[in-house]
Amino acid sequence: MDEIASVTPTFTGVSFDVLDKLGSVQWPCNASAPEGTPVMHVDEFVRGKGRFVVTAYVPTNERSTRRFPLVLTTGRILSQYNVGAQTRRTGNVAWHPEDILELHPHDAEVRGITDGALVTLASRVGRTTLRAEISDRMPAGVVYTTFHHPVTGANVVTTENSDWATNCPEYKVTAVQVGLVHPLGRGDEEPERAGDEEPERAGDDVLTAVD
Amino acid sequence: MTASVPPERRMANDIAVNLGHLPGESAAEAIAGHIGRFWDPRMRSRLLAHVDAGAEGLHPLVIAAVRLLR
Repeated sequence: MDEIASVTPTFTGVSFDVLDKLGSVQWPCNASAPEGTPVMHVDEFVRGKGRFVVTAYVPTNERSTRRFPLVLTTGRILSQYNVGAQTRRTGNVAWHPEDILELHPHDAEVRGITDGALVTLASRVGRTTLRAEISDRMPAGVVYTTFHHPVTGANVVTTENSDWATNCPEYKVTAVQVGLVHPLGRGDEEPERAGDEEPERAGDDVLTAVD
Repeated sequence: MTASVPPERRMANDIAVNLGHLPGESAAEAIAGHIGRFWDPRMRSRLLAHVDAGAEGLHPLVIAAVRLLR
């Protein structure tokens, strides 16, 4: 700790003695803040006041269509972290053993999907298979899953679109279709096509709910 | 379809949509500034090559910005 304090200006005042005495110290901890700094930037930032910038809205290029009428949003849950490289090695898997596709009761009913059924989740760029959960938390037209389990590989379904300013991937807006998995014989799905040849229709919109 | 547009063209057009409201020359300058400061040189050279090849599908402000970048 002494070595860290000697080379890091914001840690100058940190030692094991100080840590034992205070229990916890938040940086910067030095001559001007001997007991650390629980809240930084109280009155202003280093540069002065914060600067807010109005930016124009740039809409997504992703479109829902007849082939991909639903919008997929991916995200995290509390008990897992990102792809789970650390959290899946713990007892946390008891809370979240697999990625589940949540969908609205109406979207499930028109597709013959029951709670716990295996479903395919397909977009213009990829597809995967996972278990469905019928959920009142979802608005009609929107489906949700997590990306914590590599066996699901939710990121093969999402597009390569990203934000122009930060390159943040567009994981919240992917047009998808969901269908029951038919374990035996031929399914009733359309055959795979190389690209999405369906022409855009007037009125097609990302947020259009289909039921 | 949308996913098949190369990222440098898609992102350059998005930058133009976001900054296109700036008056006069400053829009192209701001777009050139962002691409010049933050883009990987390989992406930048692909964008320049696409402008040389006819600039199909590019926002006019992107083409103006590329002129400033050269």
